[in-house]
Amino acid sequence: MADKHSHAGDDHDHKAAPMVEEITDYEVLEIAVRELAIEHGLFTTEDHRKFTEWAESIGPAAGSRLVAKAWTDPAFKARLLKDGTEACKEVGVDWAEPTGVGTPSDYTNFRILEDTPTLHHVIVCTLCSCYPRPLLGMSPEWYRSTNYRRRLVRWPREVLAEFGLILPPEVEIRIEDSNQKCRFMVLPVRPQGTEKWTEQQLAAIVTRDCMIGVALPRPGRTADVHPVHEARRPVHSASEHGKAAE
Amino acid sequence: MKKNETLRTPSTPSRFKVGDRVQVRDMPNMFYTRTQNYVRGVTGTIAACTYKDLIPEDEAFNYDGRLEQYYIIRFRQKDLWEEYPFDNDTLQTEFPDRWLDPLETGQNRKK
Repeated sequence: MADKHSHAGDDHDHKAAPMVEEITDYEVLEIAVRELAIEHGLFTTEDHRKFTEWAESIGPAAGSRLVAKAWTDPAFKARLLKDGTEACKEVGVDWAEPTGVGTPSDYTNFRILEDTPTLHHVIVCTLCSCYPRPLLGMSPEWYRSTNYRRRLVRWPREVLAEFGLILPPEVEIRIEDSNQKCRFMVLPVRPQGTEKWTEQQLAAIVTRDCMIGVALPRPGRTADVHPVHEARRPVHSASEHGKAAE
Repeated sequence: MKKNETLRTPSTPSRFKVGDRVQVRDMPNMFYTRTQNYVRGVTGTIAACTYKDLIPEDEAFNYDGRLEQYYIIRFRQKDLWEEYPFDNDTLQTEFPDRWLDPLETGQNRKK
């Protein structure tokens, strides 16, 4: 957004930018419950601060390590497919007690969804925002949006295309709607051109989006950058048109 | 986990196994459900037997009630959405035993 305000000697009447963004009913509810819990001694403000800082600091690194290990160690992959929750301990994630101070997931049933060249998985929670947090950290904003949640189950190919992922019709797309107590993560196919890579090199291309299933890993792709589609006929105000013409 | 251990006794036997064809029931929502509208009345296949746990309708009210087997069901996208254009695509989601009918006795067809 261009700065339209020239404040030199300006005393025109406009609303000040809001100091506090609006918060949702759920955020108000969370604060109310949290304060009650603190009042009743269930936990202290210090516990809450530590936990929040920790929860916000965990990213998808554990998930990336998990995938890289599964790609390079067939015996581990077999264990992972057999019992996901148990195999996670080998990359340092204990779903029952991942932090020592609490758990960022209510549930401990973890299942890995293995992609093949003809099968592609993608995860969603149509009811809320279920996400494999011990492995991937907090979910991205768009994952929790009603737009993604309601459209992915109905128009998966269109939604994936909006992420820049276009799959041929012969590849089966399998949506996993995690509506109950299982948490899921995608194990993508190891891309070509990574044959002699180390686990560490491989982990770098297994980004969060690859494990949600809205992107595929490939050499050189180490960050989740979403395509930006410019509006074709943007609507400008008359004054902006005037400026553009100058 | 440990909290639930004492609840693991009064469980109903699980009726289905992997590969069984089932139909999702369309029961009324009593204040809370985790059975999405878009799967109700639709037929799918048991893809996995997951765990036994409290049913959401009890758990939502902190009632240590009924424990049931949960299953992951696989649906064809074409069965969920009539005009869905791709034959191969599928969707999986999960339900406790009570939300499923064996296909041959399914009474709750949407149409």
